[in-house]
Amino acid sequence: MSNAWRLSRGSFSFLVFVLLLASRPPPGFCADHLQTIQARGELLWGADAEGGAPYVYPDPQKPEQMAGFEFDLANALAARIGVKAKMVQNQWDQLLPALDRGNFDIILNGLEITADNRQHAAMSRPYYVYAQQIVTRTDTMGPSDLDGLKGKTVGVLASSAAQRLLQRLGAVDVKSYPGNVESLLDLKARRIDVVVLDLPIALYYAKPDPALKFSGEPFSPGYYGVAVRKEDLSLLAAINQALEQFIRDGTLERIYRRHGLWDDRQAALAAYQPEAVVQRKSISTLREWPKYLPLLLRGALTTVALSVLGMAVAVVTGLVVVLARLYGPPLMRWLAQAYVEVVRGTPLLIQLFMIYYGLPQIGLRLNAFLAGILGLGLNYAANEAENYRAGIQSIPKGQTEAAQALGMTQAQILRRIVLPQALRFVIPPVTNDFIAMFKDSSIVSVITLVELTKVYGELATSTYDYIGLGLMTAGIYFALSYPASIFASRLERRLAYDRR
Amino acid sequence: MIVVENLVKSYNATRVLHGVDHCQQRGEAVVLIGPSGCGKSTFLRCLNQLEVADAGSITIGDVTVTGGGPPRNAEERERQRRLRLRAGMVFQSFNLFPHLTVLQNVAEAPRFVKRMPRSQAEAAASALLAKVGLEEKAGAYPAQLSGGQQQRVAIARALAMEPEVMLFDEPTSALDPELRDEVLRVMRQLAEEGMTMIVVTHEMQFARDMADTILFFEGGRVLEAGSPEQIFTAPVHERTREFLRRASTR
Repeated sequence: MSNAWRLSRGSFSFLVFVLLLASRPPPGFCADHLQTIQARGELLWGADAEGGAPYVYPDPQKPEQMAGFEFDLANALAARIGVKAKMVQNQWDQLLPALDRGNFDIILNGLEITADNRQHAAMSRPYYVYAQQIVTRTDTMGPSDLDGLKGKTVGVLASSAAQRLLQRLGAVDVKSYPGNVESLLDLKARRIDVVVLDLPIALYYAKPDPALKFSGEPFSPGYYGVAVRKEDLSLLAAINQALEQFIRDGTLERIYRRHGLWDDRQAALAAYQPEAVVQRKSISTLREWPKYLPLLLRGALTTVALSVLGMAVAVVTGLVVVLARLYGPPLMRWLAQAYVEVVRGTPLLIQLFMIYYGLPQIGLRLNAFLAGILGLGLNYAANEAENYRAGIQSIPKGQTEAAQALGMTQAQILRRIVLPQALRFVIPPVTNDFIAMFKDSSIVSVITLVELTKVYGELATSTYDYIGLGLMTAGIYFALSYPASIFASRLERRLAYDRR
Repeated sequence: MIVVENLVKSYNATRVLHGVDHCQQRGEAVVLIGPSGCGKSTFLRCLNQLEVADAGSITIGDVTVTGGGPPRNAEERERQRRLRLRAGMVFQSFNLFPHLTVLQNVAEAPRFVKRMPRSQAEAAASALLAKVGLEEKAGAYPAQLSGGQQQRVAIARALAMEPEVMLFDEPTSALDPELRDEVLRVMRQLAEEGMTMIVVTHEMQFARDMADTILFFEGGRVLEAGSPEQIFTAPVHERTREFLRRASTR
């Protein structure tokens, strides 16, 4: 064995050692995360400020600053351990994985103290007692308790206590939303019957809205707690100590009263006794695939329906746009070109939000599925129009001249001579787009559609098996898109009239 | 039967036709000769409205298109199309439809422009293919044919619309010498059958043998017109003489 080999093997194992150190410090190594924080001078707390009132949200008076009762609490907690608080923005239903990855030190964002959450993180003693509130439109007689929700279409925040509660209840059509504002918008747009949400959110967003009302009393109380990584025991102890102090000296009450959130239920905070945590063994979804694969496949069905119908809209609309652009009168040409430029130059996400949440404000209410098809279809139509244009313009001028000389009309030339020849050039890029849309369609989860990627996300956050589920999900995507590309290359070969 | 008066055409600032007049009887075969860029192809393309003249008038049979510029309304577009139907065009680069078979190429316009039933259009197409000697290629695609065969199909395709005049725009220029003859043979046959023709070509032998009248174009004008006898043996203009001398030594 040569020296060079021995050397490189040596440096390789050294590299592995360094990587191991960097990726996951062993528990003993980092037992005093509290000291690290104090040395750093900053307590990083994870929260989602999008639609995050009254917890934490951009101050409407000074949008560059945050406000909210958790913002105040985080500052108090940080001051108590001698550092400054710094918020780290993170999507709410992905807070726990992000904590685990080390993006921040604690989660302080309405995270419920539940057995589930305690599987993934250590939870502090509670700092707030929340309850669920049913919200309906002012003009309807809504259900006033949990049983009354059966048979209704109910909006909830994704991964929230309300979602788990309703899924356990069954017989409820649960629509989950990425934020708190969207569900209430949909309630007003009459796409759903009621919204169930945590009382503080309801107090802030729904109470002041004349179109919405509280229905029945709050129910199913629970606790919010601070989450820390399980190994950060000293940090957890410091937080618990601080919270106990705040409860005793009235700091918490002052904060909550300032935000109009203090109620009788908060008395329970002082008397809290932690329950023992039962450790659940980790789940391998790959080994238990019969349980998970059908759920993913059901999501895949929505993905297929969305992309097939979306592409149908795109292919037809694109044709209309390109014909207007190439052969229409000047104004139509201009409009078609403007359509292509504007649609290509703006994000699909914004277009979807405008179609789904924006159109109802001017009286056009589409359900999520139709909005998704329309959003994807109209977006891709711009690309298809450009694909067609390239295809049409690649047909030699002599073809049109020969057809004109035979007395064919403009429409006949297009339909019988130019488009059939352009078809062949257009198939590869359109197939590409179809496969791209297939994957892009995951974006429609922002308008409450549950498709393959959304199912993956939901299952992954509850099982924590990102890799096993990821492999299954990626496998499904591939198994569906690969045949499409085979079909396209077959079709292309069949149309190769000049290479026979 | 064909009357052209004062045809004027410019590309941007360059005038390529300076008021060309032309008159042609039914059954007459006219050959246009002249140096490159003299306007003979543009003249031919104007007759078929592939180029739109700036001024002047064109009459073929019972259709007249006057004035300059592209058609401004549906009526003018329709008149332009009717003029095109009177003339069949054969291009230098064949321009067959590559996605259609030979038979479909020939039957396409009768079916969709004349609304002829498919069986009738295809029967007529078969007969025309037999006439140009290609009936066994009916099911082939253009890409499977030689250049000479493609040009013969293109002639059949133009004939299928039963035009009153056939326009040939350098029909053999894109062909190897050994493939030219089969195309020229078909053209001779058409001339002998009394087809009215206008041919732009560099084939002097063909011009000499088949033309009733030869027009010598130069600088966007008809410099000299006459029978082949007259043009080839006693040209009036020095430029004509010079052109013919160069053409024969080439």
